Amino acid sequence: MAAGLFTFRGKISTRAEVILGVAVAVVVLLVWEAVSRAGLVQPQFLPAPSRVLQALWGMVTGQHLVWHALISTLRVWAAFLLAAAMAIPIGILMSSYRVVGASLEPIIDFIRYLPVPALVPLSIIWFGVGEETKIFLLWLGTFFQLVLLVADDMRRVPHEYVEIAFTLGAKPRQVLTDVAFRSMGPTLVDNLRITLGWCWTYLVLAEIVAAESGLGFVIWSARRFVKTPEVMAGVVVIGLIGLITDQLLRALHRRMFKYV
Amino acid sequence: MAGPYLSFEKVTKRFGEVPVVSETSFGIARNSFIVFLGPSGCGKTTLMRMVGGLDVPSSGSIRLAGEVITRPDRRRGMVFQSYSSFPWLTVEGNIAFGMRYRDDLTLTQRQERVNHYLRLIGMEDFQASYPNRISGGMRQRVAIARTLAAGSDVLLMDEPFGALDALTRERLQVELRQIQREEQKTIIFVTHDVEEAVFLADRIILFSARPARVLKDIDVAAALGPNRTLEARESETFFRLRNEVLHMIRNETGDQK
Repeated sequence: MAAGLFTFRGKISTRAEVILGVAVAVVVLLVWEAVSRAGLVQPQFLPAPSRVLQALWGMVTGQHLVWHALISTLRVWAAFLLAAAMAIPIGILMSSYRVVGASLEPIIDFIRYLPVPALVPLSIIWFGVGEETKIFLLWLGTFFQLVLLVADDMRRVPHEYVEIAFTLGAKPRQVLTDVAFRSMGPTLVDNLRITLGWCWTYLVLAEIVAAESGLGFVIWSARRFVKTPEVMAGVVVIGLIGLITDQLLRALHRRMFKYV
Repeated sequence: MAGPYLSFEKVTKRFGEVPVVSETSFGIARNSFIVFLGPSGCGKTTLMRMVGGLDVPSSGSIRLAGEVITRPDRRRGMVFQSYSSFPWLTVEGNIAFGMRYRDDLTLTQRQERVNHYLRLIGMEDFQASYPNRISGGMRQRVAIARTLAAGSDVLLMDEPFGALDALTRERLQVELRQIQREEQKTIIFVTHDVEEAVFLADRIILFSARPARVLKDIDVAAALGPNRTLEARESETFFRLRNEVLHMIRNETGDQK
């Protein structure tokens, strides 16, 4: 029933979806492997997947890759949790009280559009080259995005829910915790998952800035010696961590919000 | 206590410069089923929201049992057409919701009330279901039960059956009438559906196009009696009344052209 696969905006089975996803990935890898082995590209530019895998194993056994990955993960989570812990209450307040929203929106919108790399020098002047700078840069990339997303989630809580709660005798504070917060739950967790992904994209940048550990450092040092397989292996690890985290958070989302 | 249970005294509401309700005065007796009927956008919903305390009159006042209404509280509960039940709570959780703000009830009393209202709306078998697993009609039943369980004396219903199919709607109308009589509640029901209005109401208050003024005060109870069954719906009195009201509305909306 190949024709059935191409129904405009139609559905296909979950099995078919998995098979397709895996198959295409495998084909891409095979083509890549073939192209490299045939010598169509220079291995310095595009080493074969098998070479990358080899490099990866070498880094795990000889260069403490797991430790570096752990350090990076900790940095990302520290910055992300800090950003979330600030963005959730502030975002909710922005949409609960127009006074707060009107005061903060312009400045947040402005900072949100500043490119994080442009703030690296400033960050070093403020925080030196230690952990603080790295956390700060990651936080910078996530907080200002997340706070606006949270404000938006809060704004989208149906006004009916709020009014129902008021006519059932709830106080504003109770409406916030018992209704608004619960109502925005599913989209909030989704947005947290997405911003955590963004946090990872700033990791390499943060770790290029005078770091001695972390995946960004590993990738950057490999680049200096044009060890392309190792550079790619580092990138692959970041991708894998991202993929796994994302899937875990999706599973958590499904468990938490069965009613959706 | 002198005066009606719920009284509107020269109530005016403007949104900016636009008058939505204009110097409206009337009273409502306790335990009666009142329908606010009028053309769409005429301000009847605004008037009802002011009873709920969700909007405040620009001038004039609304009193419940002599007390001026200034803010929402659990004595006047709202039932909306959509987003009427909380999706993150089960049917039981929804019904119990309002009681968490009452400290005069013990845990046993709360459970008893939940059970009572589950039975009243005939949904004992669905107590653990989430709203996305039940029909639209059931969701409206849950909303009604939740308002009653919280201890509302006045139910404010804003076209609550507007999104339901004809058959479900008819069933809910019959049930609502029964519930109102059994539980002895005052209901203000906003609709623009004339048939629904005549079937449900003890009294229809017909509003003019915006700004809303009381156009007619129709005593339906005198003509149709207190018991509304599906047969009553097919009676000649019902049709005559329905047509009368329909003509009144046509005349009113015709004036505008």
